[in-house]
Amino acid sequence: MPAPVLHTPRLTLRGHVMADLEALCDLLGTERARHMGGPLPRLEAWRWMASEVAMWDLMGHGVWGIETRDGTFLGQIGITRPPHYPEVELGWTLLEDAEGAGYASEAAQAVLLWAWENGFSSLVSYITPGNDRSVALAQRLGATHDPEAALPEGETAADTVVFRHRPDADGSPEAYA
Amino acid sequence: MIVPNAPQLETERLILRGPDAGDAEAMIAFLLDRERADGFGGYDHRGDAWRWFALNVGHWHLRGYGYFTIEMKDTGKPAGISGIWNPEGWPEPEIGWVVFEGYEGRGIAREAAERVRRYAYEDLGLKTLTSNIVPGNTRSIALAERMGASYERTYQNHHMGEDLLYRHPGPDEVLG
Repeated sequence: MPAPVLHTPRLTLRGHVMADLEALCDLLGTERARHMGGPLPRLEAWRWMASEVAMWDLMGHGVWGIETRDGTFLGQIGITRPPHYPEVELGWTLLEDAEGAGYASEAAQAVLLWAWENGFSSLVSYITPGNDRSVALAQRLGATHDPEAALPEGETAADTVVFRHRPDADGSPEAYA
Repeated sequence: MIVPNAPQLETERLILRGPDAGDAEAMIAFLLDRERADGFGGYDHRGDAWRWFALNVGHWHLRGYGYFTIEMKDTGKPAGISGIWNPEGWPEPEIGWVVFEGYEGRGIAREAAERVRRYAYEDLGLKTLTSNIVPGNTRSIALAERMGASYERTYQNHHMGEDLLYRHPGPDEVLG
């Protein structure tokens, strides 16, 4: 299946196009990719991105490219479960220039809503300790630290903290109305 | 079939079709078998092998071609893969082939690869094709030569290290 197109007030989330790969290959090659298992050399990044594109076919969920309504590419967000993950994860990455404007939060709320509407009852975000921006965003989205959650195979609490998202606390305005 | 742009090809004994989620375990088993997969690019961890399986599906999306699953007509089981491979950093599109354990010695790789070569020239419109083979993979070298390919040069492959580039006969010769 192709990625469904999601809209938010400022953003469009849609399946990856070739131009995204160029920007993401560049991103994955930098120190900004350290929380994603990078930095990856460009040739490895292409292979990684190709496997990300395949997730919709293989799993029925996957990643979106995030762009502004005028088509400026901002980053990637998705829900994926590689085989060493015990649960499905919500993860996000923005290009450096796109940070600080609340785009990740806006995109994540749309993805969470899509997930709850499509039968998911819980999602996790695996965050490297010290990645304070991601922790803050997870908390703004209504996720809570889940110290009981299983960790990705081969990882310890020193590598990963688990934040859990639930449909009744997704951080959307309705949750607080 | 999960890859919408993969055609289905047939030979006497085989169906070549796009990769399917149900093929993943057979492919992962092959990739984790170092002895068999080293000439192709094997892995030690299941997660990495699974990533390769997903990479091939993504390759179909990004390039419009990739590795077909070779399915036996008589049993419906996957016997290997063959296709056109050209990820970022590859010297040029190549025909590749893999036969899973239990399916060797029956001419399956040749039957599949010759069909794939015809598809690459007829349907994709490619003008030339190579096969990249690691030194010492004598079975693959023998098959490339039986298909009329000849050694052209040795180069450094980003993934495989030193690699031999064999050049196949062109479309005029193959399509006759």
